[in-house]
Amino acid sequence: MKLSYKLSIILLFSALVFSCSSDDNATDLTGNGTVHIEFDNSVAGDDLLLSTSSYTNSQNETLTINRLTYIVGNFRLTDENGTVFTYPKDEGYFIVNEETGNTEVALTNVPAGRYTSLTFGIGVDQEKYLQGAEGQGNLLTEAENTNMVWSWQAGYKFLNFEGTFTSPTITDATDFVIHMGSHGSSLDNYKETTLDLGSEALVSSDMNPIIHLVVDAGNILDGENKIALSEQAVIMISEEKSPQIATNASGMFTVDHVHNGSGESH
Amino acid sequence: MKHLLWVSLLLAMMACHTDSGEYVDVEEDRALSVMVPSNFPPMAYNLEENPPTQFGFELGKKLFYDGKLSANGFISCGFCHEQRFSFTHHGHQFSHGIDDKEGTRNTPSIANMAFFSEFAWDGATNHLDLFPIIPITNEVEMGETMTGVLQKLQADSEYQKAFNAAFEEGGVNHENFLKAMAQFMVMMVSYNSKYDKYVRNEDGVSLTDHELQGLSIFQQKCASCHTTDLFSDGSFRNNGLPPNPKLNDLGRAEVSGSASDNYKFKVPSLRNVSLTAPYMHDGRFGSLESVLNFYQNGVQDSPTLDPLLKTEAGLGISLDGAEKEALIAFLGTLTDTEFIADKRFAEY
Repeated sequence: MKLSYKLSIILLFSALVFSCSSDDNATDLTGNGTVHIEFDNSVAGDDLLLSTSSYTNSQNETLTINRLTYIVGNFRLTDENGTVFTYPKDEGYFIVNEETGNTEVALTNVPAGRYTSLTFGIGVDQEKYLQGAEGQGNLLTEAENTNMVWSWQAGYKFLNFEGTFTSPTITDATDFVIHMGSHGSSLDNYKETTLDLGSEALVSSDMNPIIHLVVDAGNILDGENKIALSEQAVIMISEEKSPQIATNASGMFTVDHVHNGSGESH
Repeated sequence: MKHLLWVSLLLAMMACHTDSGEYVDVEEDRALSVMVPSNFPPMAYNLEENPPTQFGFELGKKLFYDGKLSANGFISCGFCHEQRFSFTHHGHQFSHGIDDKEGTRNTPSIANMAFFSEFAWDGATNHLDLFPIIPITNEVEMGETMTGVLQKLQADSEYQKAFNAAFEEGGVNHENFLKAMAQFMVMMVSYNSKYDKYVRNEDGVSLTDHELQGLSIFQQKCASCHTTDLFSDGSFRNNGLPPNPKLNDLGRAEVSGSASDNYKFKVPSLRNVSLTAPYMHDGRFGSLESVLNFYQNGVQDSPTLDPLLKTEAGLGISLDGAEKEALIAFLGTLTDTEFIADKRFAEY
């Protein structure tokens, strides 16, 4: 009795050891899973509350943000071996909208793996435009419903960033409007960003990780390029400033953490 | 047992009969071939992505002539694009749309659009499929939203049937809507003018001496921008038109945001030009005589003026009265009466 008790302890222990080691074994990640990407919109380290709080940037301009909407797409995940999974282009564009709270992207049917970096684009690339009606699908409908389509040209706004501001020279709250997109065929403002996940995002038939990105809206005007609203408060088609805004916007994303698990809890 | 056999045979015959009866009612969709005239450059539109079919074309035509595409239900595409004027808005300097609001530009022709890769006077889109979004959503043209249009069409059982018949993945949605519109436009090829028949050596058509003289002047003085038998190189150029101070329309620069594109507009095709007055992007000239007079003595210098119009000889194009008359005679040979009268494109 005593011997069998000991044996059972040993068996149980070894079973635990085996189960632990098998978790670490990449070959055990099989099937497909869903990768959730949370776009947590913020401004300079604080939560972004639309039309509520204000923040002052390095150019001494104080902004109250009323709208932040942007298009993301062409998602690619790279695993530990450098293998790239490209999400299907036709279903691959999403509109992140702070107003409606639509801030999570779900990439379904991602093959099992240990992913270490994430690449995506901000906006719509020329390839998609040149697909014509065939390529637009629901994106056009969604974009129109979220103020992401220009009416004087058949193009998408990649970024819609609006609010009011004051500065040392402009003391009355003044509207600012930043609409950035490509300029027909003459200027392509689509930009991509690649983010190191800092840890592995594990995907399998029962592992659906959540990649939590923090998005700093302050970066749009106050990033690599410094854009002063007191100089120009309405920027829609500017050969000089629109590409600068596109570069800034592509730099507003950082990986906060990756949550591995079933994907049911965050 | 014998009876049973007869009964079942009878049943089988009846079944066959009803089946064939149903099939007779269902017309099969068929592929349409798109004309690529031998004297034209290659087609720019990718037909493989959206091959025109009879049902798709008919749906596109129905949409083209349907006021439902506008906010008030009255302004169809065909309201401003009239077939008898090569799908322009004859006699209107500015096209007027919803609630009689006026735009700032003159309606361009839709003929031969499948051979171009930039659309609208300023190239606001580089895909024909996406073009209809612009007039539909423009607040002074049709003043609608794409979503609003689709809601109206989705509620219409005729449209539901037409969309399902025209597209394998049926349904009244943006993709099919834009594809149908494009199919209608892609089929609009104007290629049977007197000039076309002359260059293709068809039907023994020849040009008069006066017209030939005009062609020769055209080739020397106009054909560097109005290239090929489309009579446009599709580029954006500032032709030296003094900007209308009330509008100060920057043209291409409004799309590109580049000051180097100020006052540049797409070189228009000259097909059916005798029918498409008034002329220029803002329809300021009522006659071809006025257009030629402008090129002779009205061209204004500016930083973006096209270099071809600024030579050692001065601004513009040197033309005397006889040359202008010959040019206008030649331009008259670009009128394609078969296209203007083609029942396939007609509203009624």
